[in-house]
Amino acid sequence: MEEIKDKLELLRGRIPRAILFAIFCAFMIALPALIGKSWLNITVEMLIMALAACSLNLMLGYTGMVSFGPAGLYAVGAYTTGILLAKLGTGIVPAMIAAPIMAAIVGWGVGWICVRRTQVYFALLTLAFAQIIWTIIFEWYPVTGGDDGLVSIPTPDFFFSITNSYYFCLVLVASCIYAIWRIVNSPFGGTLQAIRENPGRVEFIGVNVKRYQLAAFVLSSLFLGVAGSLYCVFSGSAFPDYAHWTKSTDMLVICLLGGIYNFSGPIVGTAVYTILIKTISKHTMQWNLILGVIVVLLVLLMRNGVVGFLSQKLSRHR
Amino acid sequence: MLLQVKELWKSFGGLIAVCDVNLQVNSDEIVSIIGPNGAGKSTLFNLITGHISLDKGAVFFKDRNITSMPPHEISSLGIGRSFQKINIFPRLTSFQNVQVALFSATGLSRSLFSKAKLLLSEKVQDILESVGLADQARTLGGLLAHGDQKRLEIGIALALNPELLLLDEPTQGMSAAETAQTTELIYRLSKSRGIGLAFVEHDMKVVFSISDKIYVMHQGAMIFCGKPEEVRCNEEVQRVYLGKEKDSAAKS
Repeated sequence: MEEIKDKLELLRGRIPRAILFAIFCAFMIALPALIGKSWLNITVEMLIMALAACSLNLMLGYTGMVSFGPAGLYAVGAYTTGILLAKLGTGIVPAMIAAPIMAAIVGWGVGWICVRRTQVYFALLTLAFAQIIWTIIFEWYPVTGGDDGLVSIPTPDFFFSITNSYYFCLVLVASCIYAIWRIVNSPFGGTLQAIRENPGRVEFIGVNVKRYQLAAFVLSSLFLGVAGSLYCVFSGSAFPDYAHWTKSTDMLVICLLGGIYNFSGPIVGTAVYTILIKTISKHTMQWNLILGVIVVLLVLLMRNGVVGFLSQKLSRHR
Repeated sequence: MLLQVKELWKSFGGLIAVCDVNLQVNSDEIVSIIGPNGAGKSTLFNLITGHISLDKGAVFFKDRNITSMPPHEISSLGIGRSFQKINIFPRLTSFQNVQVALFSATGLSRSLFSKAKLLLSEKVQDILESVGLADQARTLGGLLAHGDQKRLEIGIALALNPELLLLDEPTQGMSAAETAQTTELIYRLSKSRGIGLAFVEHDMKVVFSISDKIYVMHQGAMIFCGKPEEVRCNEEVQRVYLGKEKDSAAKS
């Protein structure tokens, strides 16, 4: 009886959110008809970045593991797909399936070492490994093209149309984000959040904390691999930049900006960050400086990010 | 015998924190450990539960040597613990605090795709009710009153269905009324569920009212062990710890 009452209460709270969500879905589906090609291009980039940010947040916001190396795994995904398509001539499907698998394997190896340490040391280890990945990509000319990168990667004709690319990305990104949503709302996800809150206590409820942290690392890497692979197919290229620490910090800033303690935080953060960059860079050459100042202000004034700030305001008015 | 600690030694650098300590707890028995601050009581608990490694000695739980086991394995065997400093999950609700411990106890922690929200809610509510927090199920752990947080700690420990409970200062920072409530709670839990209980306490009223056996520690060593009346009358214990409390303890 109690369970039925609880479920009804949940539904009541959910209906306005369900309507908003339905409107959002309709908007995303109708988007190619509403905006021009260049903005559609930007939207595809935002979708891919949103997936990367949600993947990072699985570690950052949900498990409390600050990683400075997500770009490394993102690049592994991109290069796996790129190398399979360009150098080995495989089809698009195996090339895109191999990417998250490869990223998960690398993530397992890197993560196993990194979780031996905590906090600052963990963060530094992730940064070091991302730089190792960058260096391998940069130096391994015969396979990765070195600093020339991989260009004009052969992708199916389907992707020549920006509208097709958009819908492809939308479906894949939405599916992955849904999978991440199911994971964070599962008992496993609840355990990860407990680890974020108090790793020492979690040891003493019978949970092998390192094993769960590693699992979070691997899952995060898997989805980062999907994002990297998507970007490779969308842009038809792969560059060492994809693994650079500046790309990692972009992802971190996006998560912080949107709010790491809310599921939609990284998604909103991506939109805010991308729109800020595009608008500011139209007006000034010093867009990096202005962006930096705005980000600092936003992070100082909105301690739980944009989504955190908004949900606090909304709950006060209820 | 539920818990047996044999000749435990631990030093930190030059400081001997625990020195040749022996301890026994039987099922259905309530044992308290008292002593001045710095006597090594919390260190003793940390050694038993595997949070710190010991130098010499052994710990047996139900005749099984658990000496070098990691904490997560020891807790899976049936030892629940609460901590001196509040050790809960502040940004999770009371419900979620207990629920995540239940996930671990039932092996559900590995479940990736089921929905956690209402899972095991009957069991969670039962536990919250047994520690008097049923009406605070939706409150964030970090926002609970201090006494309620202490009780939530006990709730989390209970979720693992322990056979032995180690409580480190369960009534610390509580008012007289809260202390009486919590004392009654842990007594009832221990006797009704047949759980062996060992707790560290500074409140002598609590110690003398429910303990079957009292261990007294001083400067890392166990200086006396016995029934409450024996402890009260022991001169060394009085000198080292009870002191002026002898009179008030005798009255209670």
